[in-house]
Order: sequence, then structure tokens, then C-alpha cells
Amino acid sequence: MKMENMSLSGLDNTKLEALAQDIYSDLVEDACLGLCFEVHRAVKQGYFFLDDTDQESMKDFEIVDQPGVDIFGQVYNQWKNKECVCPNCNRSIAASRFAPHLEKCLGMGRNSSRIANRRIASSNNTNNKSESDQEDNDDVNDNDWSYGSEKKAKKRKSDKNPNSPRRSKSLKHKNGELSSSVNTDPYKYNYNTGINYETLGPDELRSLLTTQCGVISEHTKKMCTRTSLPDSNTAVESDGYDASDGQVLMSRLQWDGSSDISPSDSASSKASTNNSDSKKPKKKKKTSLNSTGGGGGGSGSVGGSSSQGCLAGQANRKKPKLPVPPAPSIYDNLN
Amino acid sequence: VCQDYIYDKDMEQIAKEEQRKAWKLQGRSSHLPLRRCVGEKYSTWEPTKRELELLRHNPKRRRITTNCTIGLRGLINLGNTCFMNCIVQALTHTPLLRDFFLSDRHKCEMQSNSCLVCEMSQLFQEFYSGHRSPHIPFRLLHLVWTHARHLAGYEQQDAHEFLIAALDVLHRHCKGDDNGKKANNPNNCSCIIDQIFTGGLQSDVTCQVCHGVSTTIDPFWDISLDLPGSSTPFWPLSPGGDGSTLNGESHLSGATTLTDCLRRFTRPEHLGSSAKIKCSGCHSYQESTKQLTMKKLPIVACFHLKRFEHSAKLRRKITTYVSFPLELDMTPFMASSKESRMNGQYQQSVDVFNNDNKYSLFAVVNHQGTLESGHYTTFIRQHKDQWFKCDDAIITKASIKDVLDSEGYLLFYHKQFLEYE
Repeated sequence: MKMENMSLSGLDNTKLEALAQDIYSDLVEDACLGLCFEVHRAVKQGYFFLDDTDQESMKDFEIVDQPGVDIFGQVYNQWKNKECVCPNCNRSIAASRFAPHLEKCLGMGRNSSRIANRRIASSNNTNNKSESDQEDNDDVNDNDWSYGSEKKAKKRKSDKNPNSPRRSKSLKHKNGELSSSVNTDPYKYNYNTGINYETLGPDELRSLLTTQCGVISEHTKKMCTRTSLPDSNTAVESDGYDASDGQVLMSRLQWDGSSDISPSDSASSKASTNNSDSKKPKKKKKTSLNSTGGGGGGSGSVGGSSSQGCLAGQANRKKPKLPVPPAPSIYDNLN
Repeated sequence: VCQDYIYDKDMEQIAKEEQRKAWKLQGRSSHLPLRRCVGEKYSTWEPTKRELELLRHNPKRRRITTNCTIGLRGLINLGNTCFMNCIVQALTHTPLLRDFFLSDRHKCEMQSNSCLVCEMSQLFQEFYSGHRSPHIPFRLLHLVWTHARHLAGYEQQDAHEFLIAALDVLHRHCKGDDNGKKANNPNNCSCIIDQIFTGGLQSDVTCQVCHGVSTTIDPFWDISLDLPGSSTPFWPLSPGGDGSTLNGESHLSGATTLTDCLRRFTRPEHLGSSAKIKCSGCHSYQESTKQLTMKKLPIVACFHLKRFEHSAKLRRKITTYVSFPLELDMTPFMASSKESRMNGQYQQSVDVFNNDNKYSLFAVVNHQGTLESGHYTTFIRQHKDQWFKCDDAIITKASIKDVLDSEGYLLFYHKQFLEYE
């Protein structure tokens, strides 16, 4: 098209039309050429195929619009058994009950403060070192504390109770005599067999542990009594146990390099809290290992944990929170 | 030699660089009537050689078409957490928010693992993963309860409260995204939350004696609207209101519309003799009128219908039906419109070419039940005109009629036309 410097008003219709036609064809040509170049470039650079998908994938994701099923073609209400792991205590919780669990776990809500207060009321002193160890597990709560230390204190108390919601009840039995019913008091290590391993000597312990599992459930604080032999239901005093006894026991039981485990041992505290959950389902498998573990590792570590349990029990007289259930540490060793 | 067009990498690099410079230059020239510069020239994505290789080896693709489930996913109820699920559905279907997270724009600067924005990002990944089983938002719940303690507790809660708390935590955690500028100032923050949700509400207090006006502008994330049937009287609205058919709603006799609620919200209100304001013009306490208008509209406008009445006398739910439109024009409620009204231009002709204030509905949160016990569900819009009902873990297709006939508790509108600043 000639670039003429002429005024349009002087032209007649046909000329104007011709001009318009020229402009039009230029535009169309530009558009087509543009598309051609785009495709050419795509092919040359190798990304032309990117848009392709296979039929199968397309069918997979088609929306379904039928009564009784959702858009994925799934029937309603089949999600009853979903589970998740609590970021606070690392236990596996049913998803539909996660919110109430989390409320207690984080120490919020109406009931949690009651439980926490009861625990505070029943303890005379607080063992600060164990407390802080427990807190190390909770990296979530280290930052972003906008509400002041008072909440932090509340948080600590709730940290002590990730695993045993029944603890508040057990405190009532603190000074009571041994009842014939199951005493789930975690600090006394009374078991439904009536055997109080705190008062057993190392040999007795060994013999006990070769016949019984001996693993202490971190959940109920009871010693596992899976065994082929009948349990002896010895009535043992649950109380009247004080610091000096604990020390004596500790020395008696410390025969095997369990010195790496101590009541304030943060490693095992962490280990228990972190691993308790993942280990729980494996418990049944491990118990057999423990009972046959016999001398060296098996009973040794149990012994060690027992000693820890004792001291922990002693410690717990001052402070309600049990820093570590010993059983999971066994699993750590075996792993 | 081969007579074909070739694409030389180096030449292209040079061309790209020059084009970029030219673009920047063009933006800076002040003699242009319109500032067209957007900062950086937008260029379409092209895969690298390595990416091409990967793509060739993995031919199975997920392509999002209009009949595709990708982007939709159910959410497990963790124990009365439908109030959280319904808000999550609304947020994950907010187009700009989705684009922000899917293009990986969040650069986390928080030390611990407790960044809510990161979790939000993860949530989008879950929604676009193609998984069909519902997602379990336990981490999200944990994070929100950790960062917004006032919300925590296993009780039935309010979805609106959750929305505001969630936006607040996201906004706080977004601070690091500001290209280094840590703006704590709500009026000056450019985090994605503020860019999308923050609007400006203008409050004008006019002295009845000297007619001096004192103006303040406050940021807002939502507009809470009173309803007829509450203890505060709804009707009459302000005198000389705008045409009721402005937004094409069916104004049945008696049925309240969203526009009615907005008109009431922006009406001039006599503050009464018991609430005299110190007038700087008169230097004394005088009676005044107060009026609220929109100074700056957010990209996403959330309207909260105040259905839960918690007055001293009673606690109840107001179930009055309020009809709301698919498309909403906010022009009559703007501060600028008010000014033109006051300047004598009473008839606000609907300017079809002014698209600034046009909004489209994209999410509706509904509450069924009573004040004490109820259930939240959400309708969300996908692919222009498809609507879906999200009822915790169950997602089903819904019709536009279902959506518009629903009671409505939280209404989410998205600006139709976005401008670059």
C-alpha cells in the first residue's frame, strides 16, 4: 500500500473502500502470521505437545453429578476412620475427635484448666528442670507468644499431660491404701498384679522380667504382664516410699550401664514423647523380645528404666508430671 | 541454508532485555495520559530444555478444564470444626489468593514451623493435588488455635470470627513478603491479604450547626450488616434513596435485599442529643449526623449478615431471608457517589462503562440450625458459572438457584475488573 500523504476527504467511495480493504487485509495477515510464528516456535522449541493429556487422565477427573455420590463419584460418609497425628503430643488421633483432643492437649477450654489446677494443687514443689525438658519438645509454642508469661505457665502444665488424661483421677489415690482394684496411679507403679517393682531387688527383678514382659505402658503407666506364668498377687504397700528408698533402689538397680538414663534425662523424655505414639502399635511385637532379652540389653534397659521410674516416682512426689515413661526407651535401644 | 526461521538463544536473550528496558522507559514517561507501566513486562512462560525433558518423560497430565474436579476437595470435620471448613473453602476458591499461592509467591521468613501462610500454601497444594479423599486440616486447626488463642476451645464457633482471626494471622505472618519492607501499618501494608481483602471505610461526622465535616477513614476486611428483625429497627432507610432495581434484584414486596442492607449501612444517622460531638468549627458540643461510605473497595468484599443476636435481653438467630445478587454494583455506596449526590446530582445514572465497582458473587457461607447448635456449609463458584456445595467432606454440584435461594450468612464478592496500580 502506498504511503501517500493525501487527505481522505478528497476521495470518492471506491478509493476509500479500497483503503479500508487494504487495512483489513493487513490486520488479518498480521494475526495469521502471528499465530503461525507462535506455533512454529512452539514446535521448534519443543513445547508444542505440552497441552496434550491422555484420555484416561481426563476421564479420571471428570465431575460426577449423580444423587448419593459426591463430585468424585464417592459415596457419602465413608470417611469415619480417618486418623491424624497430633502436632503437640504426636499421638495418633481419630480425625473426627481431633478438635476436643487438641483442646485438652494444648490446655485450653474449660475442662483443661480444671485438670491443670488440680494437678498444681496436688503437687507441693515443682521440678523445674524436668519441666523445661518437656518444653523442648514443643517447638511450636516457642515463638509467637503474644499473650504473656501467664499463658506460658499454663502451657507448661498442659505439656505434662499429653498422654494420660486420667491422671487427675489417679491423684486422689495418692495417700490411700492399696486397693484391690486397678490402680492406675502413674507415680506409684502399682500394677494390678500387686507387684511393686520398686521394692524388688535386682535378682527379683531379673527373675520377674524373664517371666513377664515388664514393659511399662506410657499410656497407663502399668507394667505389661504378658507372660506364660501366673502372676503372683502380692499385696505391697503402695506408699510409704520416700526419697531415701529411691536412692537405695537406684543404687541397687543400677547394674548395667543404665547410667546413661537419669530422671532428668532430656533425651529420653524427648524420645518417649516423640516416639511413644509410633511405638505403641509395635508394642506387641517387642514384648517378646524383651522377655527373651534376658541378661544384657533387655533386662538391663528395663532395669535402667525401672530405676528411672523409681527416681521419677520420687521426683514426682514433688512434681506431678512424669517426665518419661521408660518403656519407649527400650524401643529406642532395640531400634 | 535450510530457509527456515530459527530461534537463536542469545539473540532472544538480547531482544528480551531490550524489550524489558523499553517497557520500563515507556512507563516512566510522564507525558503519556495513561500510565501503562506495570513494573515488569509480562512474558509467557516457556519451559527450559530440562523441563521439557521431564515433561516428555511424564506424559500423564492433569489438565484443568471446565468439567474437572481438580481444585475441589472435601474437608474432614475434626469435631464441630465446620466453622473452619467453610472459611477454608471460601479462601481456597478466591481466585487471586489461589493464583498467589500456586505461583509460589510466599517466601517464608519465620523460624519455626508455625507459619500459617505456609500452611495455607500447603492447603492449595492439597486442593490441586487431584486427590479425591477429603483433606484433614488438623495442622491448620492447630496453627490457628496456637496463634489466635481467643478462638481456641472445642465449642461451636462463629465462622465470621474465624475468618477475621485467620485473615489477621495470615496478615501478620505475611509481613516478610513485602520485598523486605516490614510494614506493620495496616494502612500501608502490601501483603497479599491486605491487597485482596482490605478496603477503606469513610466515616463523615457533620455538625448540625456549622455543617463542618470531620472525616476519618478506617481499614476493614468485611462489612457487617444489620438485618430486619433484630432489636435495632431496620426500616425506614434514608430518605431519597437510590433506585431499588439498580442491581437487578427481584424486589418482592417485603423481601429484603442486600442492597437494602447496604443502603441502610450507608445512611446518614442522627447521633442524637445524648451523643454530642465536639465540633472544631463551632468549638462546642453540637448534635451531628454520621454517615458511612466506602472510600476504597477491596478486591474481595465480604458481607457479613448479622444473624446472631447477642443482646442483653436475648440470644437468637435471625432467619429473615435476604436476597442477594450474582452481580453487585457498589457505586451508589461509594464516598465519591455521596459527594456527587451532595453536589446536587441526584440522579445517578448507571454508567455502563464504569466497571470499577462491579462485583461478582463467588462464595456463600450458610448456617443451618439454631444459635446453640448448627452447621456451616459453603457454596463456591468454579469455572465461571459452575457452583458447588461444600459440606465438610462432601462436595456436590449445585445450581445457581440453590445458591441464590439460600439464607446467606457470609457473602463473598470479587471485583470483576482488576486494575494495575
